[in-house]
Order: sequence, then C-alpha cells, then structure tokens
Amino acid sequence: MSRGPLAGYAFIFPWLIALVAFVGYPFVAGFYFSFCDYPPLKSPLFVGTSNYTELLRDHVFQRSMATTLTYASVAVPLGVFLAVSLGMALNTHVRGQSFYRVIFYLPHLVPTVVVALLWLWIFNPHFGLLNALLGAIPRAIDMLAEVFFALDSAGFLRPWAALLLAGPLLAAAVKLLPGPFSRRPRLRSLLLSAAAAWIAVGVVSLADALLRWLTPYNPSRIELPGWLTDGTPFPASVPFAPPWALWALILMSMWGVGQMAVIYLAKLQDVPVDLYEAADIDGAGWWRKAWHVTIPMISPVILFNAVMGIIGAMQVFAEPYIMTNGGPEDKTRMVAMFIYDQAFQYQRIGYASAVAWVLFLVIVILTLLTFRISRGHVYYAGR
Amino acid sequence: MRRIHAALAALIACVVLVGYFETIPSLESSDAARLPEDAARRLHLSYWEKWGSFERDACQAMVDDFNQNQHELFVHYINTSEVNRKAMLAIMGGDPPDVVGLWAPDVLPFAEAAALMPLDEFMARAGLEPGYYIDSYLELGRYAGKTYALPTTPSSVALFYNKEHFRRKADALRAAGLDPGRPPATIEELDRYAAVLNEFDENGEPRVMGFLPTEPGWFNSSWIYYFGGGLYDPDTGRMTADAPENVRAYKWIKRYAETYGRDKLLQFRSGFGTFDSPLNAFIEGKVSMEMQGVWFPNFIRRHRPHMEFGVTPFPCAEGVPGPRTLIDADVIAIPRGCRHPEEAWKFVLHSQTRGLAILCRLHGKHMPVKNPPAWYRQGHPNLELDVFQAVAASPQAFVYPRLSLWKEYNDELSRAFEHVWNWLPPESELAGLDGTAREAKVEELCEREIVRTLQRVNTTMQARLDSKIAYDRLREGGTR
Repeated sequence: MSRGPLAGYAFIFPWLIALVAFVGYPFVAGFYFSFCDYPPLKSPLFVGTSNYTELLRDHVFQRSMATTLTYASVAVPLGVFLAVSLGMALNTHVRGQSFYRVIFYLPHLVPTVVVALLWLWIFNPHFGLLNALLGAIPRAIDMLAEVFFALDSAGFLRPWAALLLAGPLLAAAVKLLPGPFSRRPRLRSLLLSAAAAWIAVGVVSLADALLRWLTPYNPSRIELPGWLTDGTPFPASVPFAPPWALWALILMSMWGVGQMAVIYLAKLQDVPVDLYEAADIDGAGWWRKAWHVTIPMISPVILFNAVMGIIGAMQVFAEPYIMTNGGPEDKTRMVAMFIYDQAFQYQRIGYASAVAWVLFLVIVILTLLTFRISRGHVYYAGR
Repeated sequence: MRRIHAALAALIACVVLVGYFETIPSLESSDAARLPEDAARRLHLSYWEKWGSFERDACQAMVDDFNQNQHELFVHYINTSEVNRKAMLAIMGGDPPDVVGLWAPDVLPFAEAAALMPLDEFMARAGLEPGYYIDSYLELGRYAGKTYALPTTPSSVALFYNKEHFRRKADALRAAGLDPGRPPATIEELDRYAAVLNEFDENGEPRVMGFLPTEPGWFNSSWIYYFGGGLYDPDTGRMTADAPENVRAYKWIKRYAETYGRDKLLQFRSGFGTFDSPLNAFIEGKVSMEMQGVWFPNFIRRHRPHMEFGVTPFPCAEGVPGPRTLIDADVIAIPRGCRHPEEAWKFVLHSQTRGLAILCRLHGKHMPVKNPPAWYRQGHPNLELDVFQAVAASPQAFVYPRLSLWKEYNDELSRAFEHVWNWLPPESELAGLDGTAREAKVEELCEREIVRTLQRVNTTMQARLDSKIAYDRLREGGTR
C-alpha cells in the first residue's frame, strides 16, 4: 500500500472508531434489545417479537404515530413553501437586504428551550400576544366598518359609505385615461396601489357588515383558540384535522424557516441571469419566471430541505416536551416523546428500542417515497 | 503538504496536552465556600437530592448541621433535577452518589432491580427501631420485607378553602341551607358550597369557581379513594380501575365538565398562573376550594401573606368512612455500588434524627415519626400542621398501589381523566331530547363512556402487569 492511502486511513481512523462505538454499536444493540424485555438495571431477556406485537395493540403508540405524521404532513410543506417564498423575497434588490437576511436567520440561533418558553407566553390564551392580535384585528375591522355602515340596523348605510366608491373610480380613471400617466409610471403605480388599498378597505368593511347583519357574529364575543391547551380539531368539519394545540406547534416550527431560506438564497443567487433574460425576451411575467425558471433551478435544494424537514419533523421532541408534555389528551404526543417515556419513565428499554426501530423504518420509507416522487420533478443542471 | 502535516501534528499535540493537564473538578474542591478548615482530613460524600428555592435552603441547612457537628465526614449536597432518572443512570454506570434522595414511588422499581442497599442491618446497629416511624411512611420505603429507603419529608393532603369567599357569600350560603362558618363535610356538600361560591361575568364566563376537580391536577388519580374506590387488589393481584366506586368518582368529575361547560372551563383554566406564583388559582382567588398538600401554606404566605384561608380534611362521599388522605413522602437511600456505605449511613442516620426535624420544620411539614421532639413544634411556620398530622394518622389514609408499574398506571389514569373530562356526548344520540330527558340521556352516555374508558385502562395495565410478572419469572429461572 502506498503512503497516500495509509495516511488517509490514519486520518479517518479516530472518526471511524467514534462511528462504530457511538453509532454502529447502539444501532445493532438497539435492534437486539427490541426483541428483549430490558429494564435498565436487569439483564435483557429475549422475548421474540412480543414488543412488536404489543405495538400493534398500543393505542398510545398508534395515536402518537398519527400525531407525528399529521404534524409532519402539515409542517414540512408549509415550511418549504414559506422558506422558498422568504428566500425569493430576500433575493430581490431591496434596500437593507443584508439586514433582512440577518434578521430572518437570527431565530435559528436561539436555543430551542428559549424559543419554546417564549412561545409558551405568545400562545397563552389570556395574556398571549397572538390572541391579543387575533382579538384586536376583528375589533379594528368592526370599528372601520362602523364608519361606513350602521352595523346595528341591517342594510343601513352611513353617508361616509359614498367614499368607498373612490377606490374603484380612481382605479378606473387611471386605467381608462392612460394619457396623463403614460409619462409618469411611478405616479400611475402609486395611484393604482392607493386605489387597491381603498378597495380592500371597502371589501373588508362590507364583509364585516354583512356578517354582522346576516349572522350572530360579534367581534367582541369572538372565541379565540386556547392553543396549547386546546384539543379541539380545526377545521372541525375536516376529518383528521389537527387540534389547535398541534397547530400551535406547527406555527412555532415556522420560527426556524430563516435557516432554510438562507440555503435557498444561496441557490437562488446561483441561477444564471441569462435564463431570466431569455424569459424576459419571451414575454414571461414574474409568475412564469418563478414557475418555469426559479423553481426548477432550485429544485435539488427543495428536495434536500424537504427530506431533512421530514426527518426532523418525525423526530420532533423538545418543543412538545417543554410546551405541552404531550397534552391535551395526548394530542401533541409525538413518537420521540413516546420512546423517551418508555425508556426513561417506565424503564422499558426493549419496548422503546422496538418503537425506535419502527420510527426509523417509517422515516426510511418516507424518504424513499420523497425521492421516488421527486424523480422527473427535480432538475440537476449537471446531468 | 508539509505545512498541513505540521499544523495537524500541532493540533493533535494541543489536544493531548489539554487532555493530560485538564483536571476534572473533584468532589472535594466543589462547594468551596462551605468547606471547613479541616476539609482535607475529612472523607467527602456526595448527596444527590431534589428541591428548589427555600426548600433547597432547608435541605442545605440539614446538611450543614451534619457537617458542622462532626469532623470525620463532609457531605456535598448536589442539587439535582430529575434525580431519579439521573441516579438510575449513575447506578447503571457504576458511579453512583453516596446518598440519594428519591420520591417514594421510585423505591419499588429501584429496589426490585437491586439498585439500593437494604438498610435494616444499619438500622438495627444504630438502634433505629421501625416503631420510631408512623407505619405508613416507613412502609413506603420497604420492598419484599426489607427497608431500602427512609422517609425525609412526608406529605399528606387536605382541602384548602378561601375564608374571604365564604364570608363574601355568607348570605347566599345560608339561603342554600349551608353554614358559611364551616367547610363542607361531604363531597355532596362540597358540590353545594361550590355551586354557591361560583361567580360568572355578564357573558356567562366563569370569574370564580367554587371547586374544580381538575385543580391542581396533581391528585387526579386520588379522587376515587374519596368514593371508597381503589386501583389494585394486592390479594388477588388484579387491577381494579373499573370498580363501581371508581365509576362513581369519575361521574362526579364529569358532572363538573357537563354543568359548567368544558370549553368555558378550558378558557378559564388557561388563565391560571404557575403553582409557585401569585397567579396560582387558589392564591389569586380564582378557585375557592382546592386539594393541596402540607407544603401549600408556605407558598400562600410567600405570595399573599394576609390571605385568610382554612384547612380541613378533604371530604369523602356520603357513606364512605374518613378522614382520608394520600400518604406520600420523599425518601433517602444508599445506592448500590456506593463507595462508602458505612459513612453514607452516618449521614442517613442524621437525616432521620436531628436532621429530620430541621428539614421538616424548615419545609413547614410534619414529621414521619410517632413522637417528634418537643422543640420541633415551637414556632413551627405551618399553623395548619395539626390537620395534616391528624389525617396522616387516620386509619383511612391511603397510598397509591405499590407497583413498580405505578408511573405507567398513573399516566394511563391521567389519560382516562382527560378523556372523560373532554368527552362530549354525540349529538345524534341526543336529537329530539330536551329538559330532564336530555340530562338523563347525557348522564347515561357519560357513564357508558366512563365504564368503557376505565375498562380499557384496566385491561391495558393488567396485561402489562401479567407480562412483567411472567418476564421476571423467566429471568429468575434463567438466573438460577
């Protein structure tokens, strides 16, 4: 053997030892223990497949697996969508771009426990920021609607309601009279934006008035979710809909999308400009360029983030453990928490190993499935 | 290439040097501020124990008393969260502390796995008679006829009631045929008091609740005992989670959710603060009556020193003999593999004599012994101690089933409790019914669900217990 390979092996030798000792051995031992009854202070007793057959009957395990899959199926696509959107937004030429990039990445640097404790307060149904905002928005809309409509007497308009016609009239004037604005595109765009904003005010006010007139809706008596303590499914009519507590965890998981967005940003900056120029020549608008140029070019990164997201979501532990401890009614108990309980609370290392192996297989299957689905959708420029 | 090799060699040399010269902080060097002048001549022992805040200080005072009154040993109190789990791992790893403080339910799984040293021989040599202790507290540390742990701070629970609320609603209580000058004597009476003490705002949302079985949430598995129920029959080895008395208790729990509305109570309860805070539901005055332990007066006086409250044995359902209380304790033990068991015992002995009095007094608790020293009661901070002492000594006082599966069983019961509390009768079954007919149907459906839920708990836990016994027998057979 030449000196080169020997030196190479010598360099990776410490890492190999660590790999075998800290990954290889637990991996194999865990597989063996999954066929054993193994309280930590006693010797393992081989019991065949009984741990696996017990899993089939264990309603807590089944529920925690269903909860984990529900969480992953909502949190991963939502996270990817938000991260791609954020990456594209950060990739535009706006003033203070570096500042925004730092701001969106910062949350990723905050330790999980701190984030969890922070969100505990945000989600507090009584004193939390989220419910305060959710409660204030409909009340503010109602106050706005009250300016234009008499909300207590159905169908009655106030004189100020005439002002709501200003939005559509302004938009029509700008569109129909191109002459005065053709040389001032900035002014045209400004007036169109103002008209759109005013139309939005009118639509929202009218919608609020109609709700008040036609339904028992009252923004001051609106029932806001109990978030982490609320096990009611939302939307209630949809089968297998996540409960509010799980929505809270999903919402919280979006806190870390900045990190994914930075990875997308790196890839976005790698997209050749000439592709956009060619699209421009072909008359493609923003949406077509995004769909036919940007997304295909960053698709390998989307696949990578999706796979990592699935693995992370299937193993989520710290946030639900700190924030809900599995409650209410086990509706946020994830498989990783179930494993922890079995191993360290109930001293059932063998059973916990069996669950860990099942989780491992589920993750492998989901990852393979993702790769399979991605075939033909992911574009590798090098091929 | 040479430069890279040189840099790598330098890096490895640095790692080796740091590894060689870096010293792991020793037990002897820790706690420097407390070390006496003769520290070098003493044998140092490690004592892993729980506690936070003033309870930690009390434990430290007990340790300091030991360290100051002899010159042979120095005990380092290492405040440890999740001490049971960490102790288990340390014992497995062969490097346990010399002394460990556990919770009573930990004794069985630890002793069963031979993770603790039996203390009977030490006790006999020191003249520490079993008769020194209140039987039920000593029993918590025993397994298979041997003593593996001794009680440090005992616990018992009772009903705390807000006297200000009783006074404010005196007329209404009298109108309902209740005496505002005394607390309820039965659970049926508790419900009637609670109904009068409730206050709602103009939208019908609760402002004050007289009583809630969900508060404080720590004793949800114990309600059944106040209805004469039980969870395990040691004579037959059968789980009894679905006993008729237990069903009666769960019906009582469910009635609160049905009467006042699960969703409204969810909103109301989500505004409660943490236990050790002025926003504690009882301390803040959001709940008028609550089951709490002997430690609670400390926390009330800490956050609302002038609160007028009373303590009485928690009432039992009509026809059930009382007074009853849940008996529990923190315990002290010597782990298997401990390096200095003889010396560790000297500290354990201190924690059972003079140290026990110091600890219980500073914790504001009663002592788990039959004849506490006279000085212990002088100026004791807990003015309600007599109630707790009396209920703890009652023949009807109870302990949770002494099963190594108890943690799992308790979690299953918590699930059952939450499920029953949140379960809503299907509207399809109630269609076309109103008034008393609807109420009767709701009650019937709730009872059916309660029975089904408790039967599932019973089946699950019985299967677990049976398989555990079978595996243990197989293991014992293999060992022989």
